[in-house]
Amino acid sequence: MKRRQFIQTATTAFAGLSVSGCGWTLASVNPTPSNQGSSDELYIYTWAGYTDSDLLRRFQEATGIRAVADVFDSNEAMLARLQASGGGGYSIIYPSDYMVQKMVELDLLLELDQSQLVGLERLFERFQNPSYDPQNRHSLPLSWGTTGLIYNRKLLPDLPQDWDYLWEHKEALNKRMTLLNDVREVMGASLRSQGYSYNSTNPAEIKAAYEKLRELKPAIASFTSDAWRNQILTGDLLIAMCYSSDANEVMRENPDLEYVLPLSGSSVFVDTLVIPRSAPNIKGAYAWMNFMLKPEIAAQICQRLSFSVPNKEAFAMLPPEIQNNPSLFPPDPAISRCEGLVPVSQEISELYDRYWTRLTSG
Amino acid sequence: MSEKIAPILPDVESTPETEEEVIPSEESNTSWLGITVLLGPPGLWLILLLVLPTLVIFELSLVPGIRPGEVVNPSGLENYWRVFDAINLRVVARSLVFATGTTLLCLLTGFPVAYWIAQMAPKGWRNLLLLGFILPLWTSSLLRTYAWITILRPTGVLNTVLTTLGLPGLELLNRTPAVLIGMTYSYLPYMVLILYASLEKLDRQLLEASADLGANPLETFWKVTIPQTFPGIAAGSLLVFITGLGDFIDPELLGGASSMTISRLIYNQFLGAARNWGFGSALSMVLIFAVSAAIALLLKYGDRDVTT
Repeated sequence: MKRRQFIQTATTAFAGLSVSGCGWTLASVNPTPSNQGSSDELYIYTWAGYTDSDLLRRFQEATGIRAVADVFDSNEAMLARLQASGGGGYSIIYPSDYMVQKMVELDLLLELDQSQLVGLERLFERFQNPSYDPQNRHSLPLSWGTTGLIYNRKLLPDLPQDWDYLWEHKEALNKRMTLLNDVREVMGASLRSQGYSYNSTNPAEIKAAYEKLRELKPAIASFTSDAWRNQILTGDLLIAMCYSSDANEVMRENPDLEYVLPLSGSSVFVDTLVIPRSAPNIKGAYAWMNFMLKPEIAAQICQRLSFSVPNKEAFAMLPPEIQNNPSLFPPDPAISRCEGLVPVSQEISELYDRYWTRLTSG
Repeated sequence: MSEKIAPILPDVESTPETEEEVIPSEESNTSWLGITVLLGPPGLWLILLLVLPTLVIFELSLVPGIRPGEVVNPSGLENYWRVFDAINLRVVARSLVFATGTTLLCLLTGFPVAYWIAQMAPKGWRNLLLLGFILPLWTSSLLRTYAWITILRPTGVLNTVLTTLGLPGLELLNRTPAVLIGMTYSYLPYMVLILYASLEKLDRQLLEASADLGANPLETFWKVTIPQTFPGIAAGSLLVFITGLGDFIDPELLGGASSMTISRLIYNQFLGAARNWGFGSALSMVLIFAVSAAIALLLKYGDRDVTT
């Protein structure tokens, strides 16, 4: 970051603590005029792994813009940093679906000028009008995946089809299973297994989900979104709740591992590209979006990172064994039983959090 | 976690210095300049990066349920009452158990080692031996914790060795013992270094005198060695206890499904689903108070020569 930009960012960061009335506003983000910032540099805030040096080099060759990527490891950490630093100088950010909705509510995102985007029609129909951002007004879907179970086929008595498998076999799986370290995903799975919505806001249903998880709790080795990878490869774990993209990456290393999208339904996530209102380089941001819409670029994200792609032409370019991989591209009826995570009110998220504290400290 | 030590030690050092510097300043005007030059930059640093943020956290802790983007209007102690909910007290209690257990284990394993290096090892080896203890701190603490997963997991290094020897395997990972092992490993170097500084100055003539006067080795240890090195023991224990109380990585990665600690609870309030910065700030203040109390004890009972 250049010095001038640093001072700019620092100033905005202090502006984030703006005084209003009797109190002050905690970490608000103010949009900066679009003429600020250099137009030949593009700061990107993304998940680790999404951009590699090869991709950045190809983008620079195609557009002459030098792209610099910073990484975050959770949507919440990204939002907190964005709010704390008053935008942080980023022109492209990669939030997931529910976070897009939240950021739109917080008025952090620029409404996209779709006439500047080439190839929107390449998106599959179900990504043309997503519920988290109708008509993709603020976001561009980049990749997607599901939440499910990865298991070792050789070590399990019979093969899991649904969430209830964990409860039915909890003696055999004792301390050999992990769930995600994410309150909404874990509670969602329990909700869904009882026929409720993954996004329930009904306190009685949420309580029922907690009670059911409490039954399973003694058999759970840990809540982890990451540490299961090695342990399922070595056989220390028999089954783990995970994201399909991670599962596919790990499955490449051991053919006995399989991924199942639970029958009663699960969650589906979409990672997107957005332009924050504080973006210093909006033109560069559109250039990046158009670059990512190119079929060959979208296809390599699928092949390199094991994410599913929402891009029809990119899908057509994939080798048949990937196209027919049900863990990457599940059949439509299976997807229709999945829901995207939806942000819930402060009150309800507090409720989830209290049950989560109880579950993880019991 | 080495980065946590930094904010603690300067406090211990700077407090007595400040007192000493202020007294002569009232005598002449020229020394005021010196004080401004010497204490200005670190003072500004402390105020901007320690005092002000702490005050902001304190203010936030008085606003129930505040999230980013909302107006800060301190209105009461509600967040603090919530800390005393049974479930949150259980989390605090677990943090205390982890920190206390780690302190005891560090003391029990660190004392003999420090004693041996300071009193029995050949003089030329001492620096090398101490270096050996600091060496692991050169790698990331996250990496070291992942290494413990590899050692402790059911089919890991430890159990492979045990079963080869014909012994039954141990289920340690994702349980409390794993957290204590990981934390003890992380903080042992600090304990050993501080105990070493204290044991190095042990007066051997007193030990000989004690033996001459008929005390057996155990009595000598208890009545002569321990009292002489008590300041070091206190300083080391408190340092390990304080750092252990705020540990995040070891409980998270090694502790399994029931390992919620106060630092993880704070993290969840700021970056987790709840995003309740008010409650998170109240928890942080409680932790800051607890650590301040521990530092006050350190200043009262710790040997300043040892800690500086």
